[in-house]
Amino acid sequence: MIKVELFAAPGCDRCAKARKELQGIIETIGDDRLAWRAVEVLDEIDYAVALGVLSTPAIAIDGELVFAALPSKKQLRRVLKERLARPSTDGHAV
Amino acid sequence: MSAYQIGELSKRIGMSADTLRYYEKIRLLPPVARNTSGVRVYDDQDVSRLNFIRRAQRMNFTLAEIRKLLEMREDPQNVRTDVRALMQKKLLEVEEQLEELNTLRNEMRLLINLCRGAEDGCPIIEDIDHGE
Repeated sequence: MIKVELFAAPGCDRCAKARKELQGIIETIGDDRLAWRAVEVLDEIDYAVALGVLSTPAIAIDGELVFAALPSKKQLRRVLKERLARPSTDGHAV
Repeated sequence: MSAYQIGELSKRIGMSADTLRYYEKIRLLPPVARNTSGVRVYDDQDVSRLNFIRRAQRMNFTLAEIRKLLEMREDPQNVRTDVRALMQKKLLEVEEQLEELNTLRNEMRLLINLCRGAEDGCPIIEDIDHGE
């Protein structure tokens, strides 16, 4: 399972756009191995800071900050597909 | 040999007169010589010892640790292992503080950025309000 986290904050207008885009891309890819959630930064500020989030929106994959700012749809789709193609520890794709 | 009264020494090394008297009271300084009027007169050795204390304080050593360091200072050749251990302990503490400060700095940067991007209200106040 690949865990995608979108870091958002109240009053951040780009966060709503990011949420919509991320959800749309994940639905388009249609792979059950992709799980996503929105993280409200103010509710989980220690976790956000530990990951290195300095602004919103930001996107982490499997606990690693991958996009410190909103990426293009193309970039996001590419990175998610790359993650899905990575072999798992038993030698199979994730 | 130089001789300083407490007010002069206080200005010279940047410690208050109360602090100087306190260090003598708790024996960080040996009993200070007095002139015929009973006024404290500090010599170069006292100044050197006080400078040592001040530098050790800058390194975050506690007074108890400084007391140990002062003892070690009397016999530096035979206490190298102990001094090194004490300094390593202090270094670890400083590194932990740096890590905490670094986290705090990043949290502040994040909150400033959130406040800048917020349409109404300010997340800084909200975070301080609801923090642990």
